Amino acid sequence: MSRPRARAGIKATRLPNGLTVILREMRHAPVVSVWCWYRVGSRDERPGITGISHWVEHMNFKGTRSIRKDDVTRLVELAGGTWNGYTWLDVTSYFETVQSDALEAMLRLEASRMTECLYSRTEVDRERTVVISELQGSENDPRTYLDKEVTGTALQAHPYRWPTIGYLSDLRAITRDDLYAHYRRYYVPNNSILVVAGDFDTPRALGLVRRHFGKIRAGADPPQVRTQEPPQGGERRLTLRRPSGAAYLDVAFHAPAAADPDFATLLLLDGILAGGPTVNAWGGHDGRGPVKSSRLYRALVEGDLASEVSTSVVPTRHPYLYRIVVTAKQGIEPVRIEAALDTEIDRLARGDLEPRDLERARNQFLARYALESESTTDAAHQLGFFETIGGHALFLDLPRRVAAVGAADVARLARARLAADRRTVGTLVPAGPSAVAAAAPDGPTR
Amino acid sequence: MNAARTALGNGLVIIARDNRAAKSIAVRLVLEAGAAFDPPGQEGTAALAADLLDRGAGALSAGEIAGYFDDLGVSYSAAARRDTLEVEFRLLSEHLPGILERLRILAAEPTFPEKEVARQKGLMLTAIAERDQDTSSVCEIALAQAVFPTGHPYHAPRLGTRDSVRRIGRAGLLAFHQARFRPSGAVLSMAGDFERTRALEIAAGVFASWTDGAGRARAVIPDAPAPDRSIIVARPIEGKTQADIGLGFRGLRRLSPDLPAALVLNSVVGEFALGGRLGKAIRDRAGLAYFVYSRFTAGLGAGPFVVRSGVAPEGVRRALDLMRRTIERVRRHGVTPAEVNDSKRALAAAVPRRMETNTESAAVLADAEFYGHGIDYPEKLPDLIRAVTKTEVEEAAERYLTLGRHVLVVAGPTIDKETLR
Repeated sequence: MSRPRARAGIKATRLPNGLTVILREMRHAPVVSVWCWYRVGSRDERPGITGISHWVEHMNFKGTRSIRKDDVTRLVELAGGTWNGYTWLDVTSYFETVQSDALEAMLRLEASRMTECLYSRTEVDRERTVVISELQGSENDPRTYLDKEVTGTALQAHPYRWPTIGYLSDLRAITRDDLYAHYRRYYVPNNSILVVAGDFDTPRALGLVRRHFGKIRAGADPPQVRTQEPPQGGERRLTLRRPSGAAYLDVAFHAPAAADPDFATLLLLDGILAGGPTVNAWGGHDGRGPVKSSRLYRALVEGDLASEVSTSVVPTRHPYLYRIVVTAKQGIEPVRIEAALDTEIDRLARGDLEPRDLERARNQFLARYALESESTTDAAHQLGFFETIGGHALFLDLPRRVAAVGAADVARLARARLAADRRTVGTLVPAGPSAVAAAAPDGPTR
Repeated sequence: MNAARTALGNGLVIIARDNRAAKSIAVRLVLEAGAAFDPPGQEGTAALAADLLDRGAGALSAGEIAGYFDDLGVSYSAAARRDTLEVEFRLLSEHLPGILERLRILAAEPTFPEKEVARQKGLMLTAIAERDQDTSSVCEIALAQAVFPTGHPYHAPRLGTRDSVRRIGRAGLLAFHQARFRPSGAVLSMAGDFERTRALEIAAGVFASWTDGAGRARAVIPDAPAPDRSIIVARPIEGKTQADIGLGFRGLRRLSPDLPAALVLNSVVGEFALGGRLGKAIRDRAGLAYFVYSRFTAGLGAGPFVVRSGVAPEGVRRALDLMRRTIERVRRHGVTPAEVNDSKRALAAAVPRRMETNTESAAVLADAEFYGHGIDYPEKLPDLIRAVTKTEVEEAAERYLTLGRHVLVVAGPTIDKETLR
């Protein structure tokens, strides 16, 4: 075992089999959160097996050689726990937040999940329709179509371009053996990160981790994504016409990866434009209202053009997308929203920034950064998520990086990344018999 | 539990629970001003009032209020629920006094400026248009409208309808505020990085000046009669790939003595592990759905018990059959001792975890106080759950899972109504 490194009350180490272990004691409540991460997500797929990482995640709740299917979730809940798993661009993860005396049982569960899940053909067939149901449920929201089209148009080469849930044709065709091979290739300790946060004693917890994970054999290092998205040669546009209660505008720009020095600048830029994104993909959206002093809220919502505006900056391993999504107010043509958006981006690119704008965006970031890693579940999530995409120091260093961003950096980034000829603009226009009523201008609010 | 409570002369109850783990605080104000109290014909008033609290209050403009919160990085939200209107802040601890003062101004002196009212109504109309295309919302609303008859406080959707929202004006909002935003019966709950007696003092100093005409008792929401037959509602929505389906029954009040048994029953039927018996039947064995669950919503009045799922059009009939059969089996053959024990253990053991964060603590304590359980309820609840017997769970099933007097809703792709019988 390599020598533990300590920072901000965090112990990080690596077992001889390559498993990265991160421990953070938090003694405010008698609970622990155990997260097991794998460096595998939709980026590790190809057409023909899109959605396979997510489906593997589902299969890994269906029992192991030593834990019955029903017990995978039952044992967690008997310990007063909550559990879940998710798959995204770069990551697959599983977690349990339980009473602290159940820590060892959860480590046993995750070690078993890493090595000995069952993958019976019956279970594969049952889960196929469950995953397809998940896909079809998400497609009930018309914004899902716009999101997929814009992502797939903005990215033309990098595997971030297809949806994590996968294409329907692939979900119908993927076999049990495809799933099992994907599981075995990526679920090896040298591709995994175990994070525990909460009420425990670090040396004892390390001993338990060693006991349950130490004997798992390392596997071959999984293949890496080689493709880099080529520079975008011009503006891309698309329009969808579907039944919808409102019109939507979805604009995508190419964003820096989390480890890129410009990532912190993008956080500040978004802070000024829209109030700042969450960098917690798990719990960061809970209970957050719009930041009403932000430039986009004032220009679009208070400007009576939009009913909602949201943005997203996703911390990723490779460059992904910065998104601005606007719900048009009834009777407002999306083209008017686009013009207002252009004006605000132009202001940033010209350096129209007051010191107070930066100060406010920094304060907002720092407050949110603290609030979004307060619980054991969130704290463990943040350390594991960032470790998976490049190192947990990326997360710990964000406040320092954000504090160092200046007005000129923001203006430069706006010019470099938010230019019209490097964006993708998607519009969803209500269509079908109900579209007339949905899009009709409303009297009292015009 | 490290929580303290005080009641002011104006009737406001203040709760403080200290947690020095991080330099942050959650604050929640709960008012008896939810959608159940919307004036007839102006449904959506509570939701609109919630949206407008920070759009002008006292001498402060919307811009000044937003600027203050955003300068400090404070997270603010306000929303109307069924019984309550709730305002929530998450903040770094040094900002508590200033935030409490702003909260008092927002709650006691919102000005509802005409221009802001018009704008927020426009935003709400867009939200209603989106809602009416959303299969999940349409299903939930149809369930409530069929379980609770017209005129019942739980009948109308929380955001109202296009027509009811159009009828709301500034005068109606001011009248709603005058009638419902009262310190008596309201709860201010704080959790986080403070010394709790000091936090109570600060809050008492700020809120003592919030005057109330006269104290009042908690509102009474009458029980709706359970449906006298089974009701089938189909809500076709074009362009959808999946149907949202639901079964609805009349449930129970928060203060019903049946509540602990009902929580255990719900866990067995549609919650424990991957969704209880329903999850086992519909998701795990039949592979019909990604989500399936049940829930009791127990409020000031008897809320609904619902079973919900999302399935492909060709799976609707089978999923509904499985739902009905699962419930019928629980009624006829009861539950097993092992199921009851598992659910009791899980529910009791989860109580401390559900209060881990400041936001959760403030919400759980405010809820316990508002609904009359008292702030020691989180300590008592595990014992109440452990004391539930198998017989009590089966009696609750007999009382609330009244097949034949239920509502069945399908929202989404057009389904032949015969499929639903």
